[in-house]
Amino acid sequence: MFFTRHPLLSMIIASGVFIFNPTPTQAADDNQAIRQQLLELQQQMQHQQQNYQTQIDALEKRFDEATKPSRATVDRSKNSDPLQVGLSGLFSAGGSSVNNTELENLQAGGHDPDKNGFTVQNVELSIGATVDPYFDGQANFIFLINAEGETVVELEEAFFTTRNLPWGLQIKGGQFFTEFGRQNKQHPHTWAFVDQPIVLSRFFGGDGLRSQGVRASWLIPADWYSEFYFGMQNAKGETVTSFLNAPGEDIGGHTLIDRNARGSGDFLYSARWLNGIDISDTLSMNLGISGLWGPNASGVSTDTQIYGADLYLKWQPIMSQRGYPFIAWHTEVLQRDYEAADPGDPVRETLKDRGLFTQGLWGFKPGWIAGLRWEYANADGDTSSDPLRDTRKRLSPNLTWQPSEYSKLRLQYNRDWTEHLSEKTADTIWLQFEFSLGSHMAHTF
Amino acid sequence: MKKTFKYFLCSALISIISGHAHAMLRVETTTQDLAAIAKAVGGEYIEVHSLTLGTRDPHFAVARPSMIRRVYQADLLLVVGADMEIGWLPPLLQSARNNRVQPGYPGYLDLSLAVELLGKQKGAITRDMGDVHAKGNPHYWLDPRNGVRMAKVIAERLTQLDPDHAVNYQTNFEIFEKIVNTKLVEWRKALHYLKDNPVIAYHTSFVYLANAFGFYIVDEVEPKPGIAPSVSSLSSLIARIKKQHISLLIIEPYYELRPARYLNEQTGIHVAVVPQSVGARPDIRTYVDLFDAIVKVMQPKGKD
Repeated sequence: MFFTRHPLLSMIIASGVFIFNPTPTQAADDNQAIRQQLLELQQQMQHQQQNYQTQIDALEKRFDEATKPSRATVDRSKNSDPLQVGLSGLFSAGGSSVNNTELENLQAGGHDPDKNGFTVQNVELSIGATVDPYFDGQANFIFLINAEGETVVELEEAFFTTRNLPWGLQIKGGQFFTEFGRQNKQHPHTWAFVDQPIVLSRFFGGDGLRSQGVRASWLIPADWYSEFYFGMQNAKGETVTSFLNAPGEDIGGHTLIDRNARGSGDFLYSARWLNGIDISDTLSMNLGISGLWGPNASGVSTDTQIYGADLYLKWQPIMSQRGYPFIAWHTEVLQRDYEAADPGDPVRETLKDRGLFTQGLWGFKPGWIAGLRWEYANADGDTSSDPLRDTRKRLSPNLTWQPSEYSKLRLQYNRDWTEHLSEKTADTIWLQFEFSLGSHMAHTF
Repeated sequence: MKKTFKYFLCSALISIISGHAHAMLRVETTTQDLAAIAKAVGGEYIEVHSLTLGTRDPHFAVARPSMIRRVYQADLLLVVGADMEIGWLPPLLQSARNNRVQPGYPGYLDLSLAVELLGKQKGAITRDMGDVHAKGNPHYWLDPRNGVRMAKVIAERLTQLDPDHAVNYQTNFEIFEKIVNTKLVEWRKALHYLKDNPVIAYHTSFVYLANAFGFYIVDEVEPKPGIAPSVSSLSSLIARIKKQHISLLIIEPYYELRPARYLNEQTGIHVAVVPQSVGARPDIRTYVDLFDAIVKVMQPKGKD
């Protein structure tokens, strides 16, 4: 076996044997001994070879095991897809030059700090996971303590999204934030300021525009990121403020009736076109336009339309640590046409409201962000006594410190110029604290 | 009029469908290191693109909508894994609506499963420990031997997705393996002076490098992973550097240099700014370039 495999080696060994055994007389006896030695040598080498082979095999096996991806990858990653559970708490303390009743009108957002003293703004429990190969599911529950000291629980969102529809389509269904602008969908713990923009509180109420329904989105086959959203949702409820809202509520002096959906025209329709362009390695831009169409309850045939445009620019240098430094600029402009009272009604009018906010953030060193926001909102006609329709301006500088990704301290000053207050201005200072536990979800792109 | 509309609709549909039936495999990677290895193996038969830049901290990617489009179009997604991309990849995968590259499908390849991870955590992990990765230290590409293992797995996966070019992928892998193994001898020789010596790192990202070249990371400038050093943590580090005669501190280019400079002033320790990834500097384009550059900056003072 050995000789046949290594003929050259066997020849060398054989010739060596003859060289060291020169006398032919000894040859006969020695021949036997040599043969014996040769056999032993042969066996030894075979044994060694086997040893090496087993060692090589073992090493190869270990290497293969270490590098084999297929089965192990699939099984492990499928098993390691647990329920994502996260809890975030958002608290604030503050003091204002105006009293609590006036402050509640200034801080109209449901999760805004709105009291002299302490506010529990938002405690949010998020649960989500992949349902099966076809759907993802998520639900967000909100706990907060209102001005009366009562604990309020809200089913903020609960929805499924499809995972793998063809042609870049995705369907979302359930209870969810309407796709309108950039800020409306953001949860309070991802806000860059302690409170929500004035114009959003006016058009979408305290809790943002959200309702039950379905939404389809389409990733447009373009060279850049371009997505179109189309949604159909119930128009009734406290969180659909500019539309059917809740009976008995009041908008611009018009008391809302109990109006229900009777046909496909009585739903809230939304459309949004969002584009994302990387201008360079350091600068990216998001540009979106949105529209809302739906009935309102100031009459039996009245409608509301809201339009908006949003721009988000983010700069980050080529070298960055923990995502810092960065500069981000976010601006939104909105307009609402609210048809109030039915044709023939003497108080019939079209309420025209508009507003904008523009905010800049500068992450100047890891964990530190300086922000500045300017806002403006007004409406046609004499609205100077209506806190939700008067001409209002607000300037808000703030400073945020994130000791880690999971905690945050924020100091913000609000300077308000507003017509409905007798003082015409208000100064408020807020200190906010946030923590988050578990997996953090709902990042926006 | 009606005819031209129909024509327009047809051509639009064709362009959508043909967009899917792209000839070359589209490979997206979460880092430039993975892209460089994939390029070495896939050669001209694949299109590779990295979602992040090697100059930036890979734990904190800037979430850009363009990433959604890229992952949507990808045939293969290569990830570092071991929770490196935990902060940004899951929501991206959810938005990308592309099942081919979801975990568990052939188009998703987690390369941390191809290597032996160091620093796996035993026992309870709390956030009090800082940014600790439970599944093990994810900076494993900094061991050239792991680079070969990653290349092998990538070649296998490319073969699975594109069997027509199996021979090319295998040949390219063998060439890559040969080059890295040959260079490894050279790199080891150049870093031989460090063998069995203590070294300090800024973040816990160089254990694999230490393992490959036989030196020891005895401490980090960060008191806990991801937590910036304080005055007291720096002063105890100074005492340690002096006591143990530690001569080298290694730090990634994207970290703030001030604490390292301060340690240098106080103890004379040599600070080497080590490029941690392909693309960390414009001249580092391939996986081999990366180690050439690392070895160069880690030469003792006066030798480079």
